[in-house]
Amino acid sequence: MIFIAIIIGCVLGAIVGMNAPMISYTYSSYLAIAVIAALDSVFGGIASVINKKFDMKIFISGFFGNAILAILLTMLGQRLNVDIYLAAIVVFVWRMFSNLGIIRRYYVEKWTNKIKGLSKNKEEVEKN
Amino acid sequence: MKEKLKKGKVTMIIIAGLVCFVLVLVMSMQFKIINETDITSIENMRETELRTELANWKQKYEEANTKYEETKNMIDEYKETDKSNNETEEVINNELNQINMSLGKTDVHGSGIEVILKDTQNEEIPKINADDLLVIVNALKLAGAEAISINDERIINMSDIVDVDSYIKVNGNRILSPYIIKAIGNQTYLESQLVGNGGYVDDLKKSEYDVEIQKNDNVEILKYNGEIKTKYIE
Repeated sequence: MIFIAIIIGCVLGAIVGMNAPMISYTYSSYLAIAVIAALDSVFGGIASVINKKFDMKIFISGFFGNAILAILLTMLGQRLNVDIYLAAIVVFVWRMFSNLGIIRRYYVEKWTNKIKGLSKNKEEVEKN
Repeated sequence: MKEKLKKGKVTMIIIAGLVCFVLVLVMSMQFKIINETDITSIENMRETELRTELANWKQKYEEANTKYEETKNMIDEYKETDKSNNETEEVINNELNQINMSLGKTDVHGSGIEVILKDTQNEEIPKINADDLLVIVNALKLAGAEAISINDERIINMSDIVDVDSYIKVNGNRILSPYIIKAIGNQTYLESQLVGNGGYVDDLKKSEYDVEIQKNDNVEILKYNGEIKTKYIE
């Protein structure tokens, strides 16, 4: 059920985004940083689901809050003539990789356990 | 089955869909912007740099525009000068034509008279000589003739009318009887200078010369054929 919702959301988003009016190139850097922040939140959410610490409020506030904060920081950086967005990208990408690592480890363990279980079952079958 | 779902699960699904929607929406917008913008030229430029660049180009454009205006003004001036030059040329050409005409370098025509003198067979009457022609030409000049020719020899300022042996030479060319003196001018003045009291043609007629005066509204006088050379005039 949740996968259907995700797919519908993705397709709708793609359609609307392709038909959306053009935004000036000046603002595309803000959008990019927002995308990175959102992606980071999504991976963080998945990782927290795996760790069974998932909280909807924290996920939603992180998703939108991080994106908006990242945009604001980028704007501030442009005002100050400091490339703050670089720091934001570094942090987000670093967190994305750590979250991806958590997800990877979880699934690797899961599959190794499965394979072990399968081989155990096989041994039991052979013993019998 | 839906009724069995918990309320928390439904909100979870909705929020997951919403999150995906927003994420993909923003991403696809970004893709579109990047696709449709010429990134190669402005990839590494920031807005401020682009602004400076724009200001530079604007300044360059303004400079070029000023230069263009200046050049245009100069061209206008040249055109004006050219025009006045053309006018001068026209005036000079007119003058040149006038001078050529009065110098006798062009064929001219107009109203005037023709004086025809013929040598008679009568032995007692002397032949027409250069002096007769000279007197007539002088009289015509006095009467305001604008162009004169004798047997199509144009009389110009340096023309000579002389007796050589038994012939008459005009402009160095031998001419023979009948002598036709053509003159363009006021017909009445010209004729009255030759006929009437003291008129030379009348005198000639009295001496039984064969002289005739014809009025002609279209006298054709040819141009002077020789060259006008000046050697000593400085």
